[in-house]
Amino acid sequence: MVRTSRNTSIVAIIAIIIALLAVGWITAGSIGNFGITVMSGLFQGMLLFLVASGLSIIFGLMDVLNFAQGAYFMIGAYVAYDVQHVGGVIDLTTTIPDPNIRFVFAVIAAIIVGAGLGVILERGLLRPLYARPVFQLVLTFGVSLVLAEIVQFIWTTTPYSWTETFGIRESFFTLFDQRFSTYRLFVIGMGVVLIVGIAALLRYTRIGIIIRAGVEDSGMVEALGINVRAIFTLVFTLGCAIAAFGGAVAAPFLGASSTIGTSFLLQGIAVVVLGGMGSYVGTAVGSVMVGLAIAVAQSAAIGTDFSALPSITPMLLLILVLLIRPSGLFGGNAR
Amino acid sequence: MTPPRNSLMQTLRENWLPAAVMLFLILFPFIVGALTDSSPMGVARGDRMVMRGESVRWQSVLIEVFILGILAMSYNLIFGFTGVISFGHALFFGLGGYILGMFLEYTGMDTGLAMVLGVVVGVAAAGIVGLIVGFVSLRLRGVYFTIFTLAVAEMCYIFFSRWQVTNAEDGFTIGSLPAWLDPTQSRLNFYYIALALFAFTYLFIRRLVNSPTGAVFKAIRENEDRAQAVGFNTLNYKLISIALAGMLAASAGMLQVILNKKVGPEVLGVSYTVDPLLMTIIGGIGTFNGPILGSAGLHLLDVFFRDATITIGETSIQIANLWGLLLGSGFILVVIIFPLGIIGTWQRWRLKARGRIAKAARPDPSMNPKTEP
Repeated sequence: MVRTSRNTSIVAIIAIIIALLAVGWITAGSIGNFGITVMSGLFQGMLLFLVASGLSIIFGLMDVLNFAQGAYFMIGAYVAYDVQHVGGVIDLTTTIPDPNIRFVFAVIAAIIVGAGLGVILERGLLRPLYARPVFQLVLTFGVSLVLAEIVQFIWTTTPYSWTETFGIRESFFTLFDQRFSTYRLFVIGMGVVLIVGIAALLRYTRIGIIIRAGVEDSGMVEALGINVRAIFTLVFTLGCAIAAFGGAVAAPFLGASSTIGTSFLLQGIAVVVLGGMGSYVGTAVGSVMVGLAIAVAQSAAIGTDFSALPSITPMLLLILVLLIRPSGLFGGNAR
Repeated sequence: MTPPRNSLMQTLRENWLPAAVMLFLILFPFIVGALTDSSPMGVARGDRMVMRGESVRWQSVLIEVFILGILAMSYNLIFGFTGVISFGHALFFGLGGYILGMFLEYTGMDTGLAMVLGVVVGVAAAGIVGLIVGFVSLRLRGVYFTIFTLAVAEMCYIFFSRWQVTNAEDGFTIGSLPAWLDPTQSRLNFYYIALALFAFTYLFIRRLVNSPTGAVFKAIRENEDRAQAVGFNTLNYKLISIALAGMLAASAGMLQVILNKKVGPEVLGVSYTVDPLLMTIIGGIGTFNGPILGSAGLHLLDVFFRDATITIGETSIQIANLWGLLLGSGFILVVIIFPLGIIGTWQRWRLKARGRIAKAARPDPSMNPKTEP
């Protein structure tokens, strides 16, 4: 029974990806354009993964759907922007004149801020509410609103677009007579490293084993004398830090605005549900699928009246998958 | 044992507070008018009325309270009484507004007919959408429904903010309204219509929740597995709850677009989900008066402090800029410290003061959708 459902999932995944690539091929017209679509799809897929992986692991272990994940993405983008540019709250432009090194610091600052806020949220606000899961959901929703307000208070409501240039963002390489951005390739690479890294963490380390055991039955793990609460804090912080990292590496392309978090949160949630809640593999596969679907929709929508198509694509894909497999591609029995 | 002939007095004695509030709200435009020496009908200029004066201004504030109150009460029906969280309530609100607006502006029908058809079709559509969304997502436990409603609402928001037919982000204005309803002509009429719908919603939800159907709603909230084991088809009951709440929210959305005489994608925006959520939780989940108190309190605070500024030394801060932050922080505090909201906490204190064990009013651990039997 389990095996057949897993098989139908894999068939469904392959079918959907082939269908997406076929549509992408038809709308692209040339191999160069097709390459750009695929690359843009993988790029967006990796950004989605950076939001969705945190959602997925936190949900799997703690049964908390962290609606503030998008806000952490947004904060990562703002912090990275702030550190990189002249006249921010933290102005490093005179201390570190080289923009490339400064970008590394910007990303690190974003991760630290994200992790710090993650610890505060889990320890201070979520911990009293483990007996009341409905309120946890509502609380993280409220926290995301407050974080958005704080960001608007510090950095005003005007969206920022990234102006500071640095080496890797500006460089291109040529393939099939098309110029591809190296930065996108870099983000895709980072995404793959993270996917593999987190998978290895979950698979081979002691903490990973505890996390996986906690996903199965956290009460039992606690009964074995392991401090599950500490693991909860760790996982929650890790999820928030990854989201902030995502915001930071997305900022050079997407800039920083207060709405960036919400759109990534919604797409990230679509990814998590589509992949099967709490399934890490499902989240990784779902991210790539949704990213590709968005890119194909973007390329298909060029020059037509369906300019809203890319933004509703994740939801359409989600509805499609839920109709075929109600618990998501890699989900267990959801009932 | 009350004899039937006393039943009216009995009802009044038990419900003196809602009755008194209702009486006050009916007289409100005239009270404000008398206090501030302004006419509740507005100022006549030729054969048109100009909506000017304190009474008329306060009428529109209260109409907004009624709209938010209806929205919050309908949200409370799903969230507070049936125990299902939706993050897409704005979908119903906006859908009602858009359908009514499109009937009035795009069909070219006679205004009165378009009005009636728009209301009927809008309310019916909201109910049907509620059934469809619920049917697709409610068979799954836990957070699927919450996510699904958020996704569908957001999809509609994006769709309507890009759809050229309804002028995308700008929306369209409603020019043709029946004169007796037009809030820029006869706001007092519109005030009473909004009040009537508000009172209807209150009575309807009270009647519904106290009926056998409502008992099943509450059973689902407390423990769905047991409700199912007793033999109820819980999916059907949840669908009924969502469809009814959607229809009420759609009617609130219709009042909103008539009041503003404008339909735009903002009626589908996430703030019309967040507001009823905050208002319900702060006022008191699963109580009849909580959502009303929450919506009235929050909206009136917003109106009072919108233009206020705090000056600390050199810097002066506009409250309006901080409003979202204050609201969100207050909400977090309520969720952590007073999870029952204002009404719920008060009821519990009153029970304790009377020496009864307040065990029944404990925060509901059974609202956990993943609780195993």
